[in-house]
Amino acid sequence: MLQNEFDVKQFGALLIDIGIALLSSGASSSRIRNTMERFANACNLEPHFIVNPKSIAVTLINADRAIVFTGLHSTHVVGVNFKTLSGLSRLSWRFIEEEMTLQQVREELVRLQTLPPYSRWLVLLMVSLAGSAFCFTFGGDFKQMCITFIATFAGLFINQEMKKYQFNLYICTYVGALVATFTTSLFYMARLDIQLEQAYATCVLFLIPGVPLINSFSDLIDGQTLSGIERGAVALLHTLAIAFGLSTILFLYKLYS
Amino acid sequence: MTTPLHLFFNAFCCGTAALGFGLLFNSPSRAFLAIWIGGFVTGIIKFSILFYLFPDSFIMASFLAALSIGILTIPAAHWRHVPPDVLSIPAVIPLIPGVFAYKTMMGLMKLTGDTKTGYAAILSDTVHYGTLTLFIVLSLALGVSVPMRLLRVTTVKRLRFWNK
Repeated sequence: MLQNEFDVKQFGALLIDIGIALLSSGASSSRIRNTMERFANACNLEPHFIVNPKSIAVTLINADRAIVFTGLHSTHVVGVNFKTLSGLSRLSWRFIEEEMTLQQVREELVRLQTLPPYSRWLVLLMVSLAGSAFCFTFGGDFKQMCITFIATFAGLFINQEMKKYQFNLYICTYVGALVATFTTSLFYMARLDIQLEQAYATCVLFLIPGVPLINSFSDLIDGQTLSGIERGAVALLHTLAIAFGLSTILFLYKLYS
Repeated sequence: MTTPLHLFFNAFCCGTAALGFGLLFNSPSRAFLAIWIGGFVTGIIKFSILFYLFPDSFIMASFLAALSIGILTIPAAHWRHVPPDVLSIPAVIPLIPGVFAYKTMMGLMKLTGDTKTGYAAILSDTVHYGTLTLFIVLSLALGVSVPMRLLRVTTVKRLRFWNK
């Protein structure tokens, strides 16, 4: 496998693309390293990586201790896509077990990256349901659950719209929180005499950065301190954006006093 | 309010919340059942500890729930052919202390306002809820990520659960 130089170059480029695909779909640093190592070891190459928050560099060393490939690739898109993540994990095992050609791997990678997401309305509906379920677990009653459902729906809708127009991600989060809290406040303004504490607390929970938060910890524990701190900072900034969105509305309506 | 039925409803809602986040994170559809069960188990463990064993020990309840999810996702990932993170991250989302975080934020807003009436009470409340929020979040992140490291594995694919 991979005898001539051309093949190694192609493999190296593919390996970096796989790493970038993992990076932009929310994998932890050690998962990126492990998956890329699995691919490289299958071709009897010794891989060395730098995994940065938005770029990956790879050097491949062959059995004669000669450097056969060095490359760097960067990305702007860093999001969460577990379909791509699990597809790539499966692909790495298929690569070891089934003797795939590089062309097949490349095609599978492209297929995984262009998988259609779930229907937008289904996501809106299920996440809003999740919001009202959250409201129940925090002790909200039926009315508050309905309010949370509507608020989450409105907030997530605006959040998705803004992401479509590629606004800064923290601004998307801020506006999402703002809209969700504002929708809840409409019920406050209607003077329905409902206790709204749980609704306010849970209508913004769809924005919490769960993946960066847990990945940050995994990275810190694995000794990938830099990337752990970076992901932690991302999670913290998203949380602050949520808090600012919430507090803007609470301040405007003087709900805090 | 602490009947088994109430516990079941709470756990059911945790499952639904986990599933919603699974969809938001674009999880593959073969993982949905496992994510829902994960959320349900999270709810059962957290709320049975809070209702029956140690009331008010939110941190320990969250930690134990997250730890169980961290352990259970290893065989579950094997079963559904997905990386463990894909199951464990949505499953522990129901443990996020939303109301405590909200109370902390409200407290911080009050602290920036009028200093004359009840400042000490507000300060102590805010610090109380703030530390609770912080440690619950830390404990759930820790609970999820530790079991894989304890087993010293980087993949669940090659694990054997029974002798073949």
